[in-house]
This record gives sequence, structure tokens and C-alpha cells, in this order.
Amino acid sequence: MNTSKKSGFNTESGRTEVVDMQAFALLNVNREKLRPFFERVPELFAAHHHHSSQNDAGYEELLYRVYRPYSENMLDMIDEWMGHEPRSWRKEVDREVMLMLYAIRYPDTLLLESLSSDAGSDMKRISGYLHFMHHTYTIWDEDTRKGLAKLGFEIPGSENVDAFVYGAYISSIELVKELAPFTCFLEHDVPRQRLFQAALAAYGREN
Amino acid sequence: MSSTEIVEKYEPNFQAWVEQFAEWQTRIGFDPSWLGDYRFDIKFDWDSAGDEIEFGDFEGMPKWERRMQIPQQSVRDAIISMISVQGDTEFGSVEQQWHLLDSAPTEYDRKSALRIMCEEQRHGWQMAYVLCNYFGEHGIREAQKLLERNSAANPIRGEEDRPRLLGSFNEPIDNWLDFFCFTHFIDRDGKFQLKMLSTSSFKPLAASMGPMLKEESFHLGTGANGLRRIVKQGVIPISLLQKYMNKWVSTGLDLFGVDESTSAQWAYVYGIKGRYDEREAGIPADREHLNEESRMHYFDELAKEMERINKGRHEGQPELFIPSDKFHRSVGKYVDIRTTVRGEPFEGDDAAWEQYLDDQLPNDEDVAQLNEYFKEEWIQYREWKD
Repeated sequence: MNTSKKSGFNTESGRTEVVDMQAFALLNVNREKLRPFFERVPELFAAHHHHSSQNDAGYEELLYRVYRPYSENMLDMIDEWMGHEPRSWRKEVDREVMLMLYAIRYPDTLLLESLSSDAGSDMKRISGYLHFMHHTYTIWDEDTRKGLAKLGFEIPGSENVDAFVYGAYISSIELVKELAPFTCFLEHDVPRQRLFQAALAAYGREN
Repeated sequence: MSSTEIVEKYEPNFQAWVEQFAEWQTRIGFDPSWLGDYRFDIKFDWDSAGDEIEFGDFEGMPKWERRMQIPQQSVRDAIISMISVQGDTEFGSVEQQWHLLDSAPTEYDRKSALRIMCEEQRHGWQMAYVLCNYFGEHGIREAQKLLERNSAANPIRGEEDRPRLLGSFNEPIDNWLDFFCFTHFIDRDGKFQLKMLSTSSFKPLAASMGPMLKEESFHLGTGANGLRRIVKQGVIPISLLQKYMNKWVSTGLDLFGVDESTSAQWAYVYGIKGRYDEREAGIPADREHLNEESRMHYFDELAKEMERINKGRHEGQPELFIPSDKFHRSVGKYVDIRTTVRGEPFEGDDAAWEQYLDDQLPNDEDVAQLNEYFKEEWIQYREWKD
């Protein structure tokens, strides 16, 4: 998340609110709310990542099968694992997405603003590409968003790609990761962002 | 909850040590430019360290935050010794491994190894910082020694009497299979040691462990993933890989020290070093068998990890296994006992035993064969992702 350009985004779609919310969330962490979550990260991670709906073997295989130079086939493989319908957009949009994926550097999300309406209409799909091609970006997921909310990080819902909402989402997960004690850090063949995203998703699903 | 303090300003004692550290890097051949923008931060997680002594004869008293709060000189000496051994392994492993960077099978592996070496050096800094800042002249001298001992003690440089303190850290790490075994088996022992110190009665030592353990999990993951990727690729025969398992498991088991250890017992009495599961155990410690218990936890963990490694093997390939804890031991009650890798008594004379060891552990022929496999695509490709 790049908050340095905060003043440039105050005109529409509640972005000022989002930026204010990011700063509030990051500076006002309620550590007591995090404690019960941290005590259960290994169990929560296993509950989500190793659940039959997640195809854990397929996920771990993709970590190895997606690498530069990126291809449409790699986008297909990610779509398939994510459970998306095949992309219905034109070939040029694939190229546009690829260019963004080559250029973007974690934790920047502003480059997502460059996507056209076709590619920009599905945050979950784009987050999947970002995750498998960079690992540090996390998959956008409704349950994970609910899990973050339980920890005090209120991230607005959005189906469309929103650089600021997604920026707040990945920054919050990064912060959770930073604050986590060593007992949360499993030796597992998944990136740490996936470890926390999966644990948060399981946490978010619980009543 | 982790609330990490990063030390911003160093005292002159430690500043002087930092200058010596730069000389150490030059001496061993580690180019500081490889570190990029990595910083050797000194990190303390005071929250996870706890406020009260958690076990031993001082249980319930406030944890010691300064040298003068430590009640006896023998306790101070024991703490200095623990910190020195831990620091010694951190620098030793870098000395053993840095030469592998040139022959990494992929950029992913090169960068992973480099990250591990950066973090091991940071851990060494952390231990040197605690020695310099909390233990006066004695600590400063011990911190200097961390840079004077050498895993490849070289007689030409007059170092033959200054090897690293633990045997495993004087063994050459000749190739990338050794590297993955080292990070899987020996760094795993490191994880156990760090966790046992994370409940220490000396608070700066306990507070050092949280950040170190977070980083250590990446080191172990690199080893386990590396072995999984090798098995999955299926180029190096399982029978050859098994020999390396046999070599490194026995070494890892030895690192836990002697059975019925009195020094482990004193460390427990002083509250300096607990059990691996000290906070979760819920039962009193068997003080006379502390090393044995830690070793058992380690051994059980190895068996579970091996199940995961085996999942990747090709159809028809035999399973890799963890050799018996009695096999090829140099420390503890099994030192003079000859068993097979399956733990059965070995029947045969000295010559037959030597032949058996040659069959079960990597020999010159195996190394030559391994070097041939290294010319192929011997490990599953993985891309480094920033």
C-alpha cells in the first residue's frame, strides 16, 4: 500500500474514507483482539488450506509452475485453481494484465489503477494472479476480509479492483504477520502471506 | 503477541565489535555487498520473554534483566556459556556454507541460501550484542572469540586450536545436498535450542529468541522444501539420498548433548534453559534426562517431516526413512553400541563394521556419483519471487 499519495485521492467512491481507515487500522491495533487468533494460527491454517475445497496439492504445485516468462496458460492454471470461469476478455487484456504483473512491486498497489474495466472488474481473479506471480500479494477472499474485521481491521468489500481497498487488505495482513509470535510461523511449503490469509479465512468463517 | 524492539543506538563496546565483524567477513571471504540492503538489526521481543522465572529453583522470581541481578557467578558463567555456544554456531554455519552460493542450482536457491546466511549473521550479532552489553569485560572477550574461532580452522593461519565449539559446525558442507540436509536437520536442532532458551530466566536472552525463531522457520523450510524438491525430481536415487539422511540424522541427534547431563540439569535449576515444550508440558521436568527428552521430541519431529518428504517420491521408489537413534552415534549412551540403520544389533567384526558404515554413509564414490547428478536437472525448478 502506498499511502504517500494520500492527498491525491479524495474525490470519489469514498477513497478518502479508505485511506483514513488504513491509517487508523495500522496505528490503532487492538493487540488483545489479536491474541486469541495468534494462539490458533497453525490449527486455523490447516482447517482452511488443507480443506478439500482448497485443493492444497494443486496450490503447492502452482507455486512451482508459475514463473517468468508468464504465459496465458499460467493464467489459465491460476483461474482453474481459483475456481473461476475461463476469462471472457480479449487477448489484448491478457497482455495488459501481464504487463501489470511484470511491472508491479510489492507492496505497491497503485499500478492496479492502470487496468481497463475488463480486467478491473474482478478483484479476486487479479489477486490470484498477483499472488502466484509474486507470492507476497495475498488472494482477495471474503472470509479473509471477515477474519480481518474480527481483529479490528475493517476492509470494505469490493468486487471490482480497487487499489486502495486491496492495498489496505494486504497491508493489514502484513501487519498481522509482523505482530505474530514465532509460534505462528509453520514450516510449510507456502508463502507466509498464504499462511496468514488461510488462517484468517478460517477465523472469518467462524461465528 | 510479538512486539519487537529494534535497538537504534549501540554502546562503544558493541560498536568496536561491529568493526571486528567486518574484518571477519573479509577474512572468511563473505562479500558484504551480497547483503544488499539487509540490516543486522538487534531485535528483542520483550512481551514473549515473560516477567517471572518459569522453572527451576528460582521459579516465580522476577526474570533477571541485568548481570548484577543474577544471584551467583556460576549462573552468570552458565548464561555466558549458553550465549557463546549459540553465537558460535551462527557464524560457524556461514563459514561452512557461503562458498556454495556460486554453485546454486537455481536463483531461488541462491537467494534463499543468502537470506539464511544474512539471518544467521544477524543471530550472531544478537548474541554478541547480549554478551557485550550485559556481561562486561568477560562478555566482550567471549564476543570477540565468536569471530576468532573458525569452522575451517586453518593451520597456516595458526587456527588449528580454534575450531568452532560444536563438531557439526566444523564439518565441511561440500555440496547442495549437504546444504539442504544441514538446514533441515541441523538448523532444526537450532530451532530446538532457541525454543529452549526462549523461556530463559535471563530476560534479554529470552527476548532475543522470538525474532530469531521467526527467522529460523524459513531456514528449516528451505531444507525441507529442498529435500522434497529433490525427491520429486527423482534424478538422485533414493538409495544415495538415504546415505545422506544416515549421516546427518546421527549428527543432529548428537548435538543435543550427553545423556543424564549435569550441565543441562544445572541450566534447568538456574532457569536458564527449559524444556522444548516448557510452557505447554504441564508436568514436572525429569531433570536427570533433559537432553534425552529434547532429543526424543526432535527425533519424533524428524519422522513426521520425513513422511511429508516421501509424499513427493515417484511411483515404485522406496521410502526414505529416519535411521535409528542408536545408529552411528558419537555422543550419549549409544556411542559404543553397533547397530544397523534400523536399530538392530550389528553382527560382525571390526572389518565388517567398517564395511557396513561405508555402505550406509556417503563415501568418495557416492560423492563422485552425486557430482555427476548435479550436472543434470536434479532438483525441481522454483522461481524466486520478490
